Amino acid sequence: MRRADPSVTTSGDLEGAECPYCGSENTVRDHPKGPSLCRSMHYCNDCEQPFERFE
Amino acid sequence: MSNAYDTDIPDSVDPVDDDCVEPAGEACVYTEYVEGEAYDDVPATGEGAEGVERDVWDTLYGIEDPEMPVSIVDLGLIYGVSVDADDGETVATVDMTLTYSGCPARDMLQDQMREAVEAVDGVDRADLRLVWSPEWNLELVTEQGKQDLREFGLSI
Repeated sequence: MRRADPSVTTSGDLEGAECPYCGSENTVRDHPKGPSLCRSMHYCNDCEQPFERFE
Repeated sequence: MSNAYDTDIPDSVDPVDDDCVEPAGEACVYTEYVEGEAYDDVPATGEGAEGVERDVWDTLYGIEDPEMPVSIVDLGLIYGVSVDADDGETVATVDMTLTYSGCPARDMLQDQMREAVEAVDGVDRADLRLVWSPEWNLELVTEQGKQDLREFGLSI
């Protein structure tokens, strides 16, 4: 039997990642995975910028 | 089928039966860290290194992660550098890790490192050793590395 692909599981928080641009923690996670397995996609509600979080 | 993603297993790793039915030519979804010799003092940053060893560190500082504009030293991938004479040759041994064992950029990064380190004056050969203990984690990123990653748009 083939195991589940580990790339579809993730850890980390859905919100509250620190925005690298303005420092705000008023952020939400758009997607658990980014362009590589170690990054997730977030959005900053304050400065309205998308950013990635290193997981 | 193309063999571009052929899975080569380093000598230091015992192959583990991972239930992949047809590993050759197919992406295997399962990788595993293997415990080895533990390094106490990581990440290594080359502080206090002199001579050829210093030059090797400077060269490593000039190499960036294939995905992000951060030096592989500041990312915490380098666990140690030593320069020794071996059978008339000067060999630079670099102990390094990767952010995860299945890193697709492994060969690319190592080829680049080997070429750069062997180009250092006084080095005849580069010996890159992949180690997985301790496992890389975000705490190994230096302050400079964190700053570089934030500028790139990464929350860390």
